[in-house]
Amino acid sequence: MLFRMIRGVLFHQKGKMLLIALTIALGASLATGMLNVVLGVEEKVNKELKNYGANIVVKPKDSSLLSEIYEVGEGAELNAAYLREDELGRLKTIFWAFNIVDFTPFLDTRVTLPDGSQAKMTGAWFNHHLDLPTGESLDAGVVGMRSWWDVTEGRWLDEKDGNAEGEIMVGALLAQKMGWHAGDTVRIAASQGEKDVVIAGIYDAGGDEDEQIFATLDLVQALTDRENKVASIEVSALTTPDNELARRAARNPAALSSRDYETWYCTAYVSAICYQIQEVMTGAVASAVRKVAEGEGAILDKTKLLMILITALSLIGSALGISNLVTASVMERSKEIGLLKAIGARDHSITGVVMTEILMTALVGFGAGYLLGFGFAQLIGRSVFGSAIEMDPRVAPIVAGLIALVTIAGSLPAIRMVLRLRPAEVLHGGQ
Amino acid sequence: MFLRMITSSLLRRQSRMLIALLSIGIGATILAGLVTIYVDVPRQMGAQFRSYGANMLLLPKEGAVLNPESLNEALNLIPSDALVGAAPYRYVRLDMTTRQQSFTAAGTDFSQITKTSPYFSVEGAYPSETRQVLVGKEIAETIGVKVGSTMELTWQPTAAAGETGPEESRTPGATLSGSAEGFGGGVVYVTARLDQEAKIESLSVDTSTQTPEFGGRIPEEENFLRQFIGKSLPLTLGMDVDAVTGATVTSAAVVEALNRATAAAESLQPKTVIFTVAGILTTGGEEEGYVFLSLEDLEAMTGSDQLDIAELSVSTGAEQLESLVSGITENSPAVRARLVKRVARSEASVLEKLTALVFLVTLVVLLLTMICVSTTMMAVVSERRREIGLRKALGASDGSIRAEFLGEGLFLGLLGGVMGAVLGFVFAQVVSVNVFGSSITFQPLLLPAAILVSMAIAAASCLLPIKRAVAIDPAIVLKGE
Repeated sequence: MLFRMIRGVLFHQKGKMLLIALTIALGASLATGMLNVVLGVEEKVNKELKNYGANIVVKPKDSSLLSEIYEVGEGAELNAAYLREDELGRLKTIFWAFNIVDFTPFLDTRVTLPDGSQAKMTGAWFNHHLDLPTGESLDAGVVGMRSWWDVTEGRWLDEKDGNAEGEIMVGALLAQKMGWHAGDTVRIAASQGEKDVVIAGIYDAGGDEDEQIFATLDLVQALTDRENKVASIEVSALTTPDNELARRAARNPAALSSRDYETWYCTAYVSAICYQIQEVMTGAVASAVRKVAEGEGAILDKTKLLMILITALSLIGSALGISNLVTASVMERSKEIGLLKAIGARDHSITGVVMTEILMTALVGFGAGYLLGFGFAQLIGRSVFGSAIEMDPRVAPIVAGLIALVTIAGSLPAIRMVLRLRPAEVLHGGQ
Repeated sequence: MFLRMITSSLLRRQSRMLIALLSIGIGATILAGLVTIYVDVPRQMGAQFRSYGANMLLLPKEGAVLNPESLNEALNLIPSDALVGAAPYRYVRLDMTTRQQSFTAAGTDFSQITKTSPYFSVEGAYPSETRQVLVGKEIAETIGVKVGSTMELTWQPTAAAGETGPEESRTPGATLSGSAEGFGGGVVYVTARLDQEAKIESLSVDTSTQTPEFGGRIPEEENFLRQFIGKSLPLTLGMDVDAVTGATVTSAAVVEALNRATAAAESLQPKTVIFTVAGILTTGGEEEGYVFLSLEDLEAMTGSDQLDIAELSVSTGAEQLESLVSGITENSPAVRARLVKRVARSEASVLEKLTALVFLVTLVVLLLTMICVSTTMMAVVSERRREIGLRKALGASDGSIRAEFLGEGLFLGLLGGVMGAVLGFVFAQVVSVNVFGSSITFQPLLLPAAILVSMAIAAASCLLPIKRAVAIDPAIVLKGE
């Protein structure tokens, strides 16, 4: 009987119910879309911020004062400490391995150029292919870590083509000074050897690196007799912005309670990732590059807060809109409700029937709205970041709950109010 | 009469009106709020990116000198609301003889560093008085200093070719030469020889640029020149020596030239100063290998206020940044500008994405909200079909019914639009203050725009149901279908 009544209403008052369903669908799509965006945008923006380069730098514990500061002769290397190249793969075995998106080792030396002048040559990975024990593979190196370099002549060094060990890349200022061009062969001399190398490409870094030479790690190791040695590593990791716990932990992890320690260790704070790197690499000290880490922390926090506030506004807006319309539609059915009362129906049965009708309409609206909202989230994800925003399973129950709550809150008081009116008045057409 | 009809109709149907008004109000709030945020986000977010530090560098042009004057000249070319900070730097090598260590020291302006390098983390405090330094963490750990320790630092000058070197100045048998501006802007040149006691033994003066009858006579004025012999430098006109009558300015120039020669020679002496460590700097970057002191202290040690570079933090759009760089390089005689590509380029790309994000979100939310408002309006109007049928039956024309409903719609749109514009702006302000910590820029055009859009949507959404209602035969409508 109930079902017949409901079906009757739904089919005979199609127009009105459709309008309610549409409004609820719009509200649901808004809520779904915005919630998906809010939950997914942080990771997307984080990935974009990796353009700035390394936010973690790893150095040997006992490294002497860097030769960057003043020109120390390479003889001082006798006492210099190094990290081990063969341990580099371990970076992708730490707890937060998934968050390490790129890294490269560095080993530099002074070389003498054909005209007698000197320049700094840095050995690094360019697009070094790593096959990890977990099964995934990664191309790590300077190509990703120096996204702001413009290769003005020639091309990037390519470690996959086999010739990389005989090639170098030269900074634009140095190339201009020496009159070099891509494709030239030049002779460079280091402490333990000299070599004729081909200039694969010339880069414009917009900084100090424009006066330097970059080559493969193997080449520099060979020319300075430092096999398997690496002077520093730059790491680019996706991190969670620092908070009070993270700052306390960064100062002294041992001082944390065991619960705090676990929370900190299992959250991708930059200090936690640095700590984990130190655990797997012998004799290493990993520290946050504050310039990059602080900067991205600030941007991520602000973006998330902005999105949350916009979402809150849209949720309030759609909630009010839905409850508004539901109230209006109930008021509109006052004659029908009055009639039902007049022929003897109980208040609670009337309430039940009307509520059920409205909730069924809401269900249809929610279904359509959820799909539409998901579509909007994808539209935003694809257009802005070029990748899909993943569907968060938490969103469906949240939006469903919201819709149900709002629908009931909109209809119940209205139904009650109509029921309190005397049937005679209502039927007469007063309201 | 028309207005009376509209308002009385609305007042009689208070609940309906409220529902419609609420709906329009929500729509207008979202419109005004989100659009205000969208318009302001690039500026607000852009300011956040300054936490990455300097995005522009000012360097001396080939053959020119960068000093506080030429720096300020260049800074004047940057709009003051875009310039967040400008930190000048001068790098010299300082020795710590007690430890046989050498460091690179950077002279800078600490009040500007907090703006151009906000990510600096200082244990202790930034130097606030003279003879204080900020020591990078690596240096502090290597030589074992803490906040409050003292460091004795020495500057060893390197004499440029042609200058009187440190070994020569004020030493017996030295020759000093200097110049100064005399009468009418002409330059006066003086050369003096010092005797074994560093007193003036002889001097020769070139005043050929001065007035022949007065200053130009000085090389022949034996009485004047004789005053200098046997005196030690520096000298004061009026006390140590008297001017030539009628050639006061030129005489002063001669004395000034001699004093300058002495000062120049003196500035090439090594200087040792004892500094106190005010703070220790952590950055995770190469700054941890420097010692920082104030430019005033560095000038006192080295005698020169020349600068090597200035790091700037400029908050403005990517194109304006490029035009500032070329503008400064073209219009400034001594300074050329360069972007820090790493910071500037990354900022441009990320900011672009964030702006696009806010734009799309605003668009989607607006679209859905407007449709929502329309459906609500349509629902509210369509339930008045019976009233429309009745009016028609009483003889009202289609046109007048349409006009009346349209009028009601517009009025509601106006009211809701005003409400929404105000609330929307309040919302945008709340967001701006909580997220960015600064006020939002009020967009005066937005108020009328929001009202107009609300009125347009309200009116447009009335039209369809009215058209349908008016088209139906009154008898059918009145019957109750």
